[in-house]
Amino acid sequence: MSTNLTPPWQRALNKIKSWARINSPWAIHFNSGSCNGCDIEILATLTPRYDIERFGIKLQGSPRHADVLICTGPVTLQARDRLLRIYEQMPEPKFVIAVGSCGLSGGVFHGCYNIEGGINEILPVDVFVPGCPPRPEGIIRGVAVLLDALKKGKHPEPVSDDYPNFNPSAVSASNGKGKQ
Amino acid sequence: MNDVDTTAQSALDILAPYILETSRPIPRRVDVRIKVDDLVPAVKALLDANWGYLVAITGIDRPAVQPTEGEPEGEDHIEVLYSIGQGPVCLFLRLMVPYSAPQVQSVCGLIPSATLYERELMELFGVDVVGTPDRRRLIVAEEFPEGIYPMRKSFKAARTMSSDEDEVRE
Amino acid sequence: MTDQSGVNKFVVPIGPQHPALKEPGHFDFTVDGEIVTGASIRLGYVHRGIEKGAEDRTWTQNIYLMERICGICSHVHASSYALGVENLADLVSPPRSKAIRQIMAELERIHSHMLWLGVAAHEGGFDALFMYSWRDRETVMDLLEKVSGNRVHYSANVLGGVKFDITPELADEIRMGLDILEERNRHYLNIIMNDETLIARTRGIGTMSKETVERLGAVGPTARASGSERDLRLDAPYCLYKEFPVKLVNHSAGDLHARFIVRTEEVIESIRNIRLVLDNMPEGELTVRVPRRIPAGEVYSRVEAPRGELFYFIVSGGGEKPERVKVRTPSLCNWGTITAVAVGHKLADMPMILAGIDPCFSCNDRLVTVRRNHHEPQVWSWEQLRRYGVEYYK
Repeated sequence: MSTNLTPPWQRALNKIKSWARINSPWAIHFNSGSCNGCDIEILATLTPRYDIERFGIKLQGSPRHADVLICTGPVTLQARDRLLRIYEQMPEPKFVIAVGSCGLSGGVFHGCYNIEGGINEILPVDVFVPGCPPRPEGIIRGVAVLLDALKKGKHPEPVSDDYPNFNPSAVSASNGKGKQ
Repeated sequence: MNDVDTTAQSALDILAPYILETSRPIPRRVDVRIKVDDLVPAVKALLDANWGYLVAITGIDRPAVQPTEGEPEGEDHIEVLYSIGQGPVCLFLRLMVPYSAPQVQSVCGLIPSATLYERELMELFGVDVVGTPDRRRLIVAEEFPEGIYPMRKSFKAARTMSSDEDEVRE
Repeated sequence: MTDQSGVNKFVVPIGPQHPALKEPGHFDFTVDGEIVTGASIRLGYVHRGIEKGAEDRTWTQNIYLMERICGICSHVHASSYALGVENLADLVSPPRSKAIRQIMAELERIHSHMLWLGVAAHEGGFDALFMYSWRDRETVMDLLEKVSGNRVHYSANVLGGVKFDITPELADEIRMGLDILEERNRHYLNIIMNDETLIARTRGIGTMSKETVERLGAVGPTARASGSERDLRLDAPYCLYKEFPVKLVNHSAGDLHARFIVRTEEVIESIRNIRLVLDNMPEGELTVRVPRRIPAGEVYSRVEAPRGELFYFIVSGGGEKPERVKVRTPSLCNWGTITAVAVGHKLADMPMILAGIDPCFSCNDRLVTVRRNHHEPQVWSWEQLRRYGVEYYK
């Protein structure tokens, strides 16, 4: 919306909007061809043991209401257009979390015909959650990293406490082929 | 293993008029080679005798082997196997369908659920299943070009796992 | 949404993005007022080209590829593949490894059926059962993790045997977990038999007679709920199912309610079978050496996955990579039954009927749409269809 507010009011409004978004992001889940391992771990985050809803995250049905797209799977040829369409239907600002090694680089299917590779070949991804499949705790951590970055007002940075020399841009630049 | 042997033998008895070649590699398996045209009568004979249910329809691309000196060149074939299961025994009806005449008859008149297997056979191998009720693609994308059959050996994907490994090693 | 006037038909294509089933699929239902008059299936969203990819990977690499055909039934895929390759190499894996494979397979069956129970309950609007069953499912996920190291994709199989052992301490922990699971599943069986809302949504819905099931070629619990006696663990035993057999679990009603009952009773039967194997574990080695090049030949392998009969056909050319690996998954057989069963039912029953066959999309990958005459096809999301069903029955 383009209302003409004075800068202090605009800043306050932005602060309220991002507070609302961070405290209760609505997520939408899309499976672009995965084996469902990651999807059942995502569903497991909703269940009583992990309970992602206590962090305010709600898994929604419609892309038009969503802030975050949680996507799994190596993108298959058919799913590619639907994935793009869902991404386009989401209102700004929107973020993408790629879950699972298939979402990172195609995983174990790398090299199979009919798949594109990682989700970052199709969409700009903000957070990668590695694992085959990642544990529900890992998925929650991925979402928490995203929210933390939003709170600080910047783009998510790699979680470097375990891997201080890890440079994600080098991996994505080489298209997942490994060392350059 | 009397049960296995009697079951296997009963299948061979039912198919006797159609058998071109048969073998029994392991007790639980019976292989029967039949002519492409005999498919529907053979399946009907088995169903009429209440022998088994259709387990799967498998296609195998069998490109011609390099001929030895002086021998004529062989023809490319697609072998289609109809697996029919009864208890512990699995029967394989084997047909060799040449590239030059890639047609088989549909068994959907006898086994309605065979439509999904036949659709898969058509799109992955390019075998024309005559009389099948549904000719739409089952699993291959609409955008995938016509006339290209992914499971044939001649189809080489643009990027494969081994080609990537070679690049990294260099 | 729906048009109640006369014989208008409209299509309700339910797109590939539907949170409830967690898998992309596109279904096509033709409806006349409320009643479904036709159904068709479009698969393809999870088609990854695995059979072709298998020809490009060595025998060992293929275990990991086959495992990831499906996240829910990954162990049976790998076991079926490993059994087939061992047969080709004319080797038999040691008895202890067969026992461990069997235990993992039955644990996987428990996890898969409990997952299904939650998802099917969610489709029917019974979210409390979804949350409870998935919470209890965590018990079996913990057991799987203790034994194998991962909650999903346990990678128990290597060519020639299994990768890890079940020590007596682990066996005791498994027994403790099984006690909890048994108690909870008996409770769920009680709910299924007595809860009025669940019964209203499942009794008499999606009924298939034994003849229909056999003619259409359905397999697994879907077929056994209609009185079929096909269970590969009894008909064609593998692993140690001959020494430690399972009892056939089937039901005669053939409706959705019967499918709920059959799956829950199968869980209880699996628990009993695991206890039997644990108490009688054969001693010995865990693996037998399998050569890198597998001798030329062909082999087939049929196992009972949680959803039904899984069929593998493997052709070796004598090299390091297979010539052909054919996988025919159980859900592909059961899809045929939807088109037969859906006709005549209300649209509101569709989510439950689809959930009833326990479709594993990634094993097959498919979709659904609904068609009504004289109208533009309408796109419904799965969530809309599901909520439609829930509201209809209120």
